[in-house]
Amino acid sequence: MITVKNLHKSFEDNNHVLRGVNYHISPGEKIVIVGPSGSGKSTFLRCLNLLERPTEGEIWFDGQCITDERVDINHVRQHMGMVFQHFNLFHNLTIMDNIILAPTKLKLQTVEEAKENALKLLTRVGLQEKADAYPASLSGGQKQRIAIVRSLAMNPRVMLFDEPTSALDPEMVGEVLQVMKELADSGMTMVVVTHEMGFAREVGTKVLFMDGGNIVEENTPAEFFGNPQAPRLKEFLSKVL
Amino acid sequence: MDGLKLWLAEVGRKAYVAFIEQDRWKLYLKGLGITMEVAFFAAIIGIIIGTVLAFMKLSVKRNGKPSFLARIANAYIDIIRGTPSVLQLLIMWFIILSFCRNKILVACLSFGINSGAYVAEIVRAGILAVDKGQTEAGRSLGLSQFQTMRYIVIPQAFKNVLPPLGNEFIVLLKETAILGYVALDDLTRVANQITSRTYEAFMPLIGAALIYFVIIKILTILLNKMERRLRKSDNR
Ligand SMILES: Nc1ncnc2c1ncn2[C@@H]1O[C@H](COP(=O)(O)OP(=O)(O)OP(=O)(O)O)[C@@H](O)[C@H]1O
Ligand SMILES: [Mg+2]
Repeated sequence: MITVKNLHKSFEDNNHVLRGVNYHISPGEKIVIVGPSGSGKSTFLRCLNLLERPTEGEIWFDGQCITDERVDINHVRQHMGMVFQHFNLFHNLTIMDNIILAPTKLKLQTVEEAKENALKLLTRVGLQEKADAYPASLSGGQKQRIAIVRSLAMNPRVMLFDEPTSALDPEMVGEVLQVMKELADSGMTMVVVTHEMGFAREVGTKVLFMDGGNIVEENTPAEFFGNPQAPRLKEFLSKVL
Repeated sequence: MDGLKLWLAEVGRKAYVAFIEQDRWKLYLKGLGITMEVAFFAAIIGIIIGTVLAFMKLSVKRNGKPSFLARIANAYIDIIRGTPSVLQLLIMWFIILSFCRNKILVACLSFGINSGAYVAEIVRAGILAVDKGQTEAGRSLGLSQFQTMRYIVIPQAFKNVLPPLGNEFIVLLKETAILGYVALDDLTRVANQITSRTYEAFMPLIGAALIYFVIIKILTILLNKMERRLRKSDNR
């Protein structure tokens, strides 16, 4: 579904953040990415939907090379949902309008269809009565669940999560992880950067360890946590577990 | 006691000469009208020019360098900010628009062009102050750059921009006191003329100053009210 070939990314100040990443993600997989701060996890994820333009390499999505200059990136992004650490709900819009903005403005659904769909999704995460509220009146956990719903309203084929629970108070982490688990069970292809090792173990089909701008180790959760190979991964796990 | 009475009588006479005699109060009112008219239309022109300049300034080439349009906007802002507004007004009146005999129009244009440079910075800052995450969320949903601006960034920037725009209007209102340089009878010039006609400076000048002060005080109060209301409805 997504194939990454020799992906490099450097920023202006000449720091080489991604150094030739190769990876393949099949439909239905839940890829969990862990690694120390600054290792390039976010940059990798943001390259997948081209929020960051790779400096070198190719990304293929559903048989299309999306790093090609001629590809309409807005169209590609409609099929890739992204959930951010800081939720990024639109402050100026109600929850309902946050959810239906993209589907309606991109003329994928009529306003009625979009609203009906939004209510269904909101009910799924238990927040239907917040439809007319503004983001400011919600807790962090509620905001993040809404952010997930907003992405799902586009019927994406893959969902990218960048540390979705890192900005939350501890008591709200569970409700967001629960929604993500349900989403995983529904068969969604997911790529998740997180520090929640429990989630990685339980939900991941593969766990990746990134360090120094590359994927250092990749394995099933059982092997990854039970039998780590790379010394840097062993060290990392000894710190976080 | 007598001294006080004499003094009061003298003040009364001066006030009479400065404001009542020959219906002079009408001149102040007319002057104020010109001041407000020029400030108002200049503000509108300034907002239009400033908004266009702000977007020009924000445009970047694919490699992140400032675009050609951004360079033009920067040059415009540099020139306006680097020269006195009195000179700009004189240059407009005597050189660039010397064919145009409508002084008010020239004044509105001159002040509008001047104000545009400052409004550009206000609008640009207001847009940049919107969290980058808002744009990223919009783009990640597949919205275009334009749609993200239109539905997400600009509505939020609007709130950032209103209070400083109000301040800019107050500055503009006071700047129009130089209209006398092109022989427009604004409030300041009227006061000055009455001073030289009556050989009395105190009443006309202090009177005019008070009028500016009261109007700006009212504007400030309204502005603070609006700012408070914006903050209350700030859904962040
Ligand atoms: N827009 C940018 N401009 C310049 N440097 C950047 C930019 N974004 C990221 N970097 C740099 O790239 C490196 C990797 O950043 P990245 O955010 O991908 O790390 P991360 O693994 O997600 O870390 P964290 O766990 O802290 O989120 C860091 O050194 C960071 O300073
Ligand atoms: Mg990160």
